[in-house]
Amino acid sequence: MDRHSDTDLVRAVRQGDRSAYAELVERHYAKVFLVCLAVLGSVHDAEDVAQDAMIAGLQKLYQLRDAGQFGPWIAQIARNLSINLVRKKAAVERALNRKPTEPVEPAGPDDTLRRAVARLPMELRLPLVMYYFDGKDVKSVARTLDISTSGVYLKLKTAIRQLHQILTADGEQK
Amino acid sequence: MSQPCHDMQERILDLALGALNEEQAREVQRHLDTCDSCRRYARALAEQGESLAALGWRVQADMDARRDRAIDALQGVAPAGPRVLPLAGRFARAAVAAVLVLAVGILIGRFTSPKPIDVEQLRADLQASIVASLQPAVRQSVLSDVDGRLDAALAARDERIATEFVELLRQDLRVIAAELTTGSEQLVDERFAEVVELIEAARQTDRRQVAKALEQIRTQTGMGFLRLATLTEGRPATR
Repeated sequence: MDRHSDTDLVRAVRQGDRSAYAELVERHYAKVFLVCLAVLGSVHDAEDVAQDAMIAGLQKLYQLRDAGQFGPWIAQIARNLSINLVRKKAAVERALNRKPTEPVEPAGPDDTLRRAVARLPMELRLPLVMYYFDGKDVKSVARTLDISTSGVYLKLKTAIRQLHQILTADGEQK
Repeated sequence: MSQPCHDMQERILDLALGALNEEQAREVQRHLDTCDSCRRYARALAEQGESLAALGWRVQADMDARRDRAIDALQGVAPAGPRVLPLAGRFARAAVAAVLVLAVGILIGRFTSPKPIDVEQLRADLQASIVASLQPAVRQSVLSDVDGRLDAALAARDERIATEFVELLRQDLRVIAAELTTGSEQLVDERFAEVVELIEAARQTDRRQVAKALEQIRTQTGMGFLRLATLTEGRPATR
């Protein structure tokens, strides 16, 4: 199978080749999903928003100036849509005068870790999830989030340290 | 739980991320062999990373199914963009937008116009409007022009009057000075004449006083001066 570059695929989509967009989705869906998961903390919400992001990407593809930057561009769309959903949920919670609820996921052996990750700031949660959930590739994380590799390292170290502090504190409380 | 060595925390974090080269990793490992706190910290970070990676694997397990569902959802979506505007580009879009705005404006103006235009009435209105709008402007212009000319003339006249006044003042000063000089000479002469007259009057008075005295002597003695002189000349001789 020929491996086309993102630039080739974007140009093909613009010329009406819908299958080219399917190939872009094949290539970038996992990262888009992880961005959504890092922001939302819920697999179900992340799947819905990742799908919406891919649809939005197809509809707005003409706005993409640098076709080679499809990956960071679609990840940014996913991040914005995820943040919008978080805000909407928070607004609903406020309207109902309730405390914001944590994402509902089936309880399991990872429950403590999930909750601890969810308590990290979003700017730390994103690189942490992208790194550990997608092959521990710092350069890939840097490309997807459109930041430098040194920036990714710095955020990862801070995230790891804070996550350890959260887990340690929780362990001592129990 | 004891804290890891402060100066080793960053190194242990680098180790957990696999960011150290072999030599740096061996150096950290040598410290971990001798420091229980740092060793526990490094082990905790490693286990934390393994748990995260394991969580990631479970999330990734269903990724293909999610991806397929996303691709299926795209089937009914029509791509937007170049097909809508074949000449996509900032200039083309701006031109199209401008034409649309103009067309909308023309249509709004045409459909919102209350009645057909009366050309004669419009001309009369325009003329009245232009005259009404021009008259104040023309008046204002003329007034401004007159004011300017008046100011200029007044300024010139003021200057001429000032010059003439200075000249007249100089002439008057010269006349006054001359009159003062002449007047002073006449006054001196008059004063001198008065003094002379006074002196003369005094002399006349003295003369009258002497004559009066002589007349009184002559009356009292019955002799004139001549007789009296004769009498006085002979007295020493008689002694």
